[in-house]
Amino acid sequence: MSNAIIPLLLDSLASAALIFFAAVGLTLVFSVLRVLNVAHGSLYSIGGYVAASICLFIASRQLNPYLSFLALLFSAVCVAAIFGPLIERGLVRWTYGKSEAVQILITFGLFLILEDLQRVVFGVQSFYEDAPMRLLGTTSVGGVVYLNYQILLIAMALLVVVGLRLLINHTRLGRLITAVVTDREMAQSIGIDTNRIFIVAFSLGVFLAALGGALATPTSGIAPGLGADTMVLAFAVAAIGGLGQIEGAALASLIVGLARVLAIYLVPSLDAVAPYAAMLIVLLIRPYGLFGSVTARRI
Amino acid sequence: MLRLDKVSVSIEGVRVLRGVSCEIIARKTTVLIGRNGAGKTTTLRAIMGLIAMDQGSVRLDADDLGSRPAYTRARAGIGYAPEDRRLIPELSVEENIRLPALALKLDRAEVARRLDEIYQLLPELHVMRSRPAGGVSGGQGKMVALGRALTVARKVLLLDEPFQGLAPALALDYARTLGELRKHRPELAMLITESSPALLDRIADRTLQIERGEILDTSTKDREFHVAAI
Repeated sequence: MSNAIIPLLLDSLASAALIFFAAVGLTLVFSVLRVLNVAHGSLYSIGGYVAASICLFIASRQLNPYLSFLALLFSAVCVAAIFGPLIERGLVRWTYGKSEAVQILITFGLFLILEDLQRVVFGVQSFYEDAPMRLLGTTSVGGVVYLNYQILLIAMALLVVVGLRLLINHTRLGRLITAVVTDREMAQSIGIDTNRIFIVAFSLGVFLAALGGALATPTSGIAPGLGADTMVLAFAVAAIGGLGQIEGAALASLIVGLARVLAIYLVPSLDAVAPYAAMLIVLLIRPYGLFGSVTARRI
Repeated sequence: MLRLDKVSVSIEGVRVLRGVSCEIIARKTTVLIGRNGAGKTTTLRAIMGLIAMDQGSVRLDADDLGSRPAYTRARAGIGYAPEDRRLIPELSVEENIRLPALALKLDRAEVARRLDEIYQLLPELHVMRSRPAGGVSGGQGKMVALGRALTVARKVLLLDEPFQGLAPALALDYARTLGELRKHRPELAMLITESSPALLDRIADRTLQIERGEILDTSTKDREFHVAAI
């Protein structure tokens, strides 16, 4: 029995980790900027494309294959450094203080542009480069074979949860972010340049999404449409966890990951529905999500 | 020191300030008196850059503040305690008071110096410094907000209706603290808004009256105080 349960658990944890990267950035950006960025999923897939391209380049030049791990991180940093400030300064900031409908329409427009941009730049064929996964190999315990890469994914997600919490609670930047989230006007009055915090928080969100996309590429490849799928899942996770909640997003990712993998093992036809069924149940019981509260929304 | 010149502000198309001109002077406590809705809070918010001006200017000495973003006010040394406190509930009292120091990148020694000064003036804050700000009473919260504003205020201190909602004993305490503050920090220019003049009689050096977004001439009031002082 345990032979079946442990890989199942590992699968769902790894899948939860990938969803978490996308969702935690979405929720972070929402809590600081109070904008729900519909284009967030596209940044996940752009991270994936960039990572896959660099990994393929490394393979084609027969460079040290271990460089591809560095490439995963590097591509996320690049995507964040380029797209973060560009999108926040160029587009999102014009929606501050506007109604949610305007914000969603504008970021949805951005989503359409980014999706087509990816088709133009990377084509419509799917990319697959699993060098990082192959390099880490497998571990066999008691006759069950594990992918070490899955364990890396889970560890990375845990690192992000702990890292973000430390950042928010114990650094200067974290304090300033907390002040901006709690009360934007007061933050300005005590000398915080809120525009800078917005750029930093948005870019951090982009980094996390792009990192998720980059880390996902070796396991599942990347193809057009990934951005939209990711966005919808990330939104479900953020809603289950409570918008703006880091630990909430982590727990919700687990729920969604588990729901998905359970569905794949037990009722494969319900695979796509399972995350939303979980969302429906949670929101019926707790309308503001697991960790959310009426005041935490602060819209 | 701080000079408003023909400041006009509209909120959702309605004129709230109509060409307000006044001066907040160093070493003086200026009290801005007016009914609810007269434009007291809006005047302070305009000084802080929290609301866009239709026209007019706000200058600190030779510095034109009006064209610069709100966060530059704190860097220029203007401290502001809003009427509704607006603390960060999950941080402790001291963390709230220290928050501007983080934003302004003050060095350790300077933070310790300012904190000392604040605790000396408001010893009750020292007693409750490690309590979460969300757990203090409304009146205590006002003291915390004053402490936080003092971390910033090198030149100007703006207090919005500090006595609003304070229990009589606390209001007396607060007034006494403001008197102490005047002695400790004589160079400070203070602007305090209030709806009833009685509470601030003792600490006011000058009184301005605001009605329907306009400052009325109150020089007579000024003279009265001079007479009283003699």
